[in-house]
Amino acid sequence: MSHKEIISKYYSKLEKFDSDIKKIENNNELHLVLNDPNKLHDFCKFLKHDFDLRLLTIICCDERKLNHGFKIRHVFGSDADDFFLFVTTSIDESHLYFPSLYDVFPSSILYEREINDMFGLTAKENPNIKPLILHDFPNDIFPLRKDFNLNDDVKRNLKQFEFTPITGEGVCEIPVGPIHAGIIEPGHFRFSVLGETIINLETRLGYTHKGIEKLAESMPINNVVFLSERISGDESIANSVAFCQAIEKIAKLTIPQKAEQIRLLFAELERIYNHFGTLGGILADIGFPYGASRLNILKEQIMQLNERLSGSRILFGVNQIGGVKINITDEMLIDIHFVLDDAFQIFEKIFDHLKSNPSVMDRLRNTGIIEKQPARDLGLVGISSRCIGIETDTRQTHPYGYYPSINLKQKTLRETMEHQVELQKRIGDVLSRFMSRVDDLRQSKAIIDSIITLKNDGLSVSMDDELIPYSSGLGYAESHRGETLHWVMIGEDNSIFRYKIRTASFSNWPVIEHVVLNNIVADFPVINKSFDFSYSGNDL
Amino acid sequence: MKKNSDKTNHLIDMSFKSAAIKDPLKMDDTIAANYRGYVVLDPDKDFVLKDETGKMLENSCPTHAITFQNDDSNLQIHLDNGKCILCGNCQVKSPELIKITSQFDLAKKRRDDLIETFSMSVPFGKTYDELGQELKNKINKIFGRSLTIREIDAGSCNGCEIEINALNNSVYDIERFGITFVASPRHADILLVTGPASKNMERALKIAYDSTPNPKIIIAVGACACSGGIFGNNYATTGGIDSIVPVNVYIPGCPPRPQALLYGILMAINKI
Repeated sequence: MSHKEIISKYYSKLEKFDSDIKKIENNNELHLVLNDPNKLHDFCKFLKHDFDLRLLTIICCDERKLNHGFKIRHVFGSDADDFFLFVTTSIDESHLYFPSLYDVFPSSILYEREINDMFGLTAKENPNIKPLILHDFPNDIFPLRKDFNLNDDVKRNLKQFEFTPITGEGVCEIPVGPIHAGIIEPGHFRFSVLGETIINLETRLGYTHKGIEKLAESMPINNVVFLSERISGDESIANSVAFCQAIEKIAKLTIPQKAEQIRLLFAELERIYNHFGTLGGILADIGFPYGASRLNILKEQIMQLNERLSGSRILFGVNQIGGVKINITDEMLIDIHFVLDDAFQIFEKIFDHLKSNPSVMDRLRNTGIIEKQPARDLGLVGISSRCIGIETDTRQTHPYGYYPSINLKQKTLRETMEHQVELQKRIGDVLSRFMSRVDDLRQSKAIIDSIITLKNDGLSVSMDDELIPYSSGLGYAESHRGETLHWVMIGEDNSIFRYKIRTASFSNWPVIEHVVLNNIVADFPVINKSFDFSYSGNDL
Repeated sequence: MKKNSDKTNHLIDMSFKSAAIKDPLKMDDTIAANYRGYVVLDPDKDFVLKDETGKMLENSCPTHAITFQNDDSNLQIHLDNGKCILCGNCQVKSPELIKITSQFDLAKKRRDDLIETFSMSVPFGKTYDELGQELKNKINKIFGRSLTIREIDAGSCNGCEIEINALNNSVYDIERFGITFVASPRHADILLVTGPASKNMERALKIAYDSTPNPKIIIAVGACACSGGIFGNNYATTGGIDSIVPVNVYIPGCPPRPQALLYGILMAINKI
């Protein structure tokens, strides 16, 4: 089905709800403008129950300059069709309130808190409006509003963050962070424990907030690619591809097939080296350093391959708007296949060894179990959802770049059945996430293996025309953590008016508070590592 | 017979031209291309200055016009053309570095201008292992125990963390040089700080700095920690960690590779 057919299929049903809905189509995006914000709640309920749509993100944009007030876009996605639904409402400056969706989509709580911090718009009924990203900022500073300047010096005054008090006989609090014992990013965890068992966890993030979304508005559009690479260092390809695709969608550019192939190769290499690292990290956290160091050697080999190919060990500087900067020659492709064949041969041996090692398996099994219902409610994506059997993979649901042209070898019936049996064992524990990552690794290998010849139609096309002011586009990619969404609205003179980033980390972080319950404190590191969220990608 | 007469004719008919060179300040073919006029330090593209090359050159010069310096961080060769007798000995020893030109516009108004300098920093030509061994010896000499490092992320994109973690993997294995990463700033000799120092991490970084026992070394890792990098100095960042804590060594790069990190740590130890 083409994008047009899908959109008209949905629209014909959506019309029934409200006749005065305005409709704007943009490729695979359908924008609906709701005139009355009070209808939003019922409309979203209708979307959830009748269409089974997921809430992907909530984008706020200060359009007072254009006399639109604050615009709030609720973005929904479907797992069945390649289709995004934007429900747009305008909030008048005099109100500064908008309806909360917390009882329909619990995942909206987080987005509403973010908007409260950055724009000063409050979701009326939201039960948790604590500051999320800005620490110790004055109550009247809202960085993403247009009347706030990027370089304004903010006078901060130290405030005590109010953690939910857990009281009772024998209940202790353990504060951890923001500086952790390992070499990882900063974040604060407040455990309430009864003996060894965690009975409550509250996370406080935002420590690495660098003002990326605001900064992008002051940068030339070509430089924002570099900024997008540095949203999270280990997701550089996924984030820059998502950003470039958003701009290419707005500019209606078709990039050369070779560039798409190269983007795909680098994206899969990125996935492979990160999964090797995470699997190694899980083993290190359960005290199995042999496996950890073997896997980290494989990670290092892929990073050295990255360096040979692109000049950067973590693949900075590959993408540009309209294509890629780095060429891959036939010899380089042979190098990729050679290194990966070698690495996966060793990996399978290590994996066999791990599977037959009861002390490893026992430690992973039944640790940090996540239930299906919270996983759906929180809108988990990527490995975190695949470990419980919810298949969300942007590469399949919203195919982009060269992925539609990839033909993987058909599985035999026996293999399919074996895989089904294997999937039944996935109960959402650390072992399931471990296995999901192994699956992902093998799939990435198969995808790269399927590219034998490279097309020969250039590396990039240039973007000559000036982009239409206030046009927008959604770019998306699947990072090794899951679905990554970048929404860009263009301003005047090819500048960026609004750049909204939603990484997989942001939508997945809340799950950690649910998963650790009834586990012991000593298991927290391995549970956390099995998810492997990015703090920087969350805080922006 | 005819040939002979031609030759004699030529000799007889040779007219006398002025012997003077018309424009003596112009290079022309009266100066041979291989005339030794001036010695320059002009290294080939992939030339690597090593300790032994420098010493050999110093010894090869009969008038001590070439001097070689070996600081810990820098190798330097000085060539004093005021002393040079143009013997060409040095060019024979190291043709990759030393070139002799047929230039003659050599006069300088200041004596110092006759001295040419070529410098190259240490890690060129040193492998990761050699660098590590040197570091290990220094650590043994100064501390008599392991060197302990505490890593602090003050808002980095986690690129620098990937490389610092790589120092601990089996390939780089920094522990064999007597360097361990510790879990608390209270156990640390060195703080390795990454990130543009986000405002939200400012307080935590200060507390960690105060908790580290004296004497302590602070190393800024990556472009962000050195200057704010791509994030600069905005409402959420402070534009480099030296605006919060004093910094001893800056390691640039985005992100700096493991070798660069090790070199930075070596430089920090050399500062003691």
